[in-house]
Amino acid sequence: MTSMADWPVVHPPADPDTGERLFFDDHEWDTIEAATARVIPTDHDPGAREAGAVRFIDRYLSGIGYVYAAADGSGFLRMSGKLADAWRARIEDLRETYRQGVRDLDAIARERFGADFVSLGDPEQDAVLEQVSGRPRPAPVGLTGEDGNPTIQVYAFDDGLSFFDALVAHTRQGFYGDPVYGGNRDRVGWRVIGFPGPESLKDTIDGTYSVREYYVQDYDWGRLIPHLRGVGRA
Amino acid sequence: MQYARKPDPVDVLIVGMGASGATAAKVLCEAGLKVVGLDRGPWLRPREHFSGDEIKFLNRTYLWSDPRVNPRTVRTEENETAVPTPFSMVPQMVGGGTVHWAGWLPRPRPSDFRMRTLHGDIEGASLADWPIGYDDLEPYLSKVEWAFGCAGLDGADAHEPYRSRPYPTPPLPPTRAGKRFYEACEKLGINAMPIPQAIVTKPYRGRTPSNWTSFWNGYGDPSGMRSSTLDTFVPEALATGNLELRPESYVREVTVGPDGRARGVLYIDADGREVEQEAAVVLLCLGAVESARLMLLSKSRQHPDGLANSSGQVGRNATFHEYLFAVGLFDDAEPLYGFPGNYISGGSFQFYETDHDRGHIGGALIGASHVGQPINWNFPGRPQWGGAAKDADRDFYNHAMKIGHTLHDMPVASNRVDLDPTVKDAWGLPVARITHKAHPNDIRLAKWQVDKNVEILQAAGAWKTIPVYLERGRASGNTCHQHGTARMGTDPATTVLNEWCQAHDVDNLYVLDGASFPTATGVNPTLTIMANAWRCADHIAGVHAKGRTERLPQGRSGRAAAPTS
Repeated sequence: MTSMADWPVVHPPADPDTGERLFFDDHEWDTIEAATARVIPTDHDPGAREAGAVRFIDRYLSGIGYVYAAADGSGFLRMSGKLADAWRARIEDLRETYRQGVRDLDAIARERFGADFVSLGDPEQDAVLEQVSGRPRPAPVGLTGEDGNPTIQVYAFDDGLSFFDALVAHTRQGFYGDPVYGGNRDRVGWRVIGFPGPESLKDTIDGTYSVREYYVQDYDWGRLIPHLRGVGRA
Repeated sequence: MQYARKPDPVDVLIVGMGASGATAAKVLCEAGLKVVGLDRGPWLRPREHFSGDEIKFLNRTYLWSDPRVNPRTVRTEENETAVPTPFSMVPQMVGGGTVHWAGWLPRPRPSDFRMRTLHGDIEGASLADWPIGYDDLEPYLSKVEWAFGCAGLDGADAHEPYRSRPYPTPPLPPTRAGKRFYEACEKLGINAMPIPQAIVTKPYRGRTPSNWTSFWNGYGDPSGMRSSTLDTFVPEALATGNLELRPESYVREVTVGPDGRARGVLYIDADGREVEQEAAVVLLCLGAVESARLMLLSKSRQHPDGLANSSGQVGRNATFHEYLFAVGLFDDAEPLYGFPGNYISGGSFQFYETDHDRGHIGGALIGASHVGQPINWNFPGRPQWGGAAKDADRDFYNHAMKIGHTLHDMPVASNRVDLDPTVKDAWGLPVARITHKAHPNDIRLAKWQVDKNVEILQAAGAWKTIPVYLERGRASGNTCHQHGTARMGTDPATTVLNEWCQAHDVDNLYVLDGASFPTATGVNPTLTIMANAWRCADHIAGVHAKGRTERLPQGRSGRAAAPTS
């Protein structure tokens, strides 16, 4: 078995201009692309469609060849051993989740609107997604609500996700994740929210990339902390 | 099953090369003992394997153990069937939790060691004093801080206990969220200070502060700026020539001789072969969950209820430090930025000590932070999809901050780790089953502190605040902090380990991770775990290995004797 420390780097990073489809068939690709475009819609800023979120998802579901990028982004790690087995099983489950998800979107779309999901207009697609999610389309953040929330996990795992939750999570990853995975084309997702992300993963290793300028530049601990000035000391 | 040639016995065998195991390895190897270190996980190379890849580190569990390989099950009540849940996950790899961590390095307080003396018996809790006090640990807290180049600001913490040495490196600059926190605290009369952090902010012992990416909490550090045992103690131990490190070696059992003493361990190596390694002394350093599990897996004629478990206490009194917080969303023009900082900027010990007017005992170290990287930043009620979701990211990603704390949870005898009767890991062994229900004091403490955090956010000018409480007493296991499953104490009938973290029942077995903590303390535990491992390793090298025994006198000044029950 190859140690995890020596997993070789294979497959170059995704070419954002490629039309190559590794997992979805054409109808699945178009359907998932349309659904991602409702999760992060295009408005005066680019959305999931422009970011290529569907390409990101297609690569992820293609097997275990695009799970972990090499640290410097030069390609992807070829896993082996028990972790490879676990990921193979996880991806297999996700593939079935997505394939069934596309069938469900179409079934609801045909029943309610007489056409496949991909042919519907935005409001009808939203209505189908509401039904799949079992909840109304989210309202904007307001001043009311959310008193007393349960704790949440900091880290996300992909096991056991419903189709809708997987779609939302992966659209977000395809919009905001490093472009090496095939989404966030031209780093549009980062620009939309004002995140000055790195030009490349390599830049995060060698000190090229820095967010130091976003710290407070001009400060005096004595002014920030009264105790240092003797204020409030016994 | 293939079997490998049996290697020669060694002086000390360490199972788990994370925070405590690597600390012990450094101390023991430098003392001239021959050590074998085993770790279940890989031995990664920071400069080759780590970078700022949010998907890889936060969403695809590159450092965490994979829940399909090492599952864990959780329930709240004895009569429930436990459900596989990624509860209190921690990287299982060389370096352990010091690889992914933000590097919080706050010191415990003298009161943390005397909870039972201070508060007596609390109904439903199993409070206990530690058999050591702050003064016993203080020299070792300083050793770890200096070995790690801890960044901190001398004199800023009005509530700081005695320290023998200043901080070795100055603090990072404040983040913008941190500055808001300091200003709000001044308004409310709260003493705030930069939270001590395991990061070098100036050139220090061959390391340079070159990683300003803020891909920190949850990520490995490729630069060596943030301190980990992988980047410090492991190479230092190897440099002695006395350490042999064997990664990807899964220990399935601690073996014992006819006299019931530890003989060594059986492990499965990276090629799937079973190996028995013998040693004069065995140290368990797997983290409180996995150390307890390994003890319970190591049943024998001599130890029918699990290794060193004549007290029946192995696995019990588990505490987990649920992370609770309040989020503030801001609508002013001045961005706070969602990304800089290391989950850390300003913090305060103002609310750490018991104040009976609050209706609970104990308290919290609070800390202000940024909200995280773009994919995984979150707040309860954040719209998940559609235009509202996009607006929430656009409007608030750079206009939000958090004030959070880890919960000083009460030890409860029935909160425990045992072996799941049905769920097995990828090696076919029963997984750790966690039974955990929050004590009423936990819920009250969490509520009071989160409300206080809300008040500070309001003083900082938040447009909206969102509290996150410990609802219904169900913890999510959202920190890596684990303690209490093999408590240290003086009474072999009620504790597993003595004051040197040596098993009462097995004199050549030590448990050096957080399992030994009688109570959780209210601070991030890694500094205390490492300092305690260093203290115990000094004892192993200086006393045990020389064939002597020595007990720490109890009831010394500065620390009241435990009341008899």
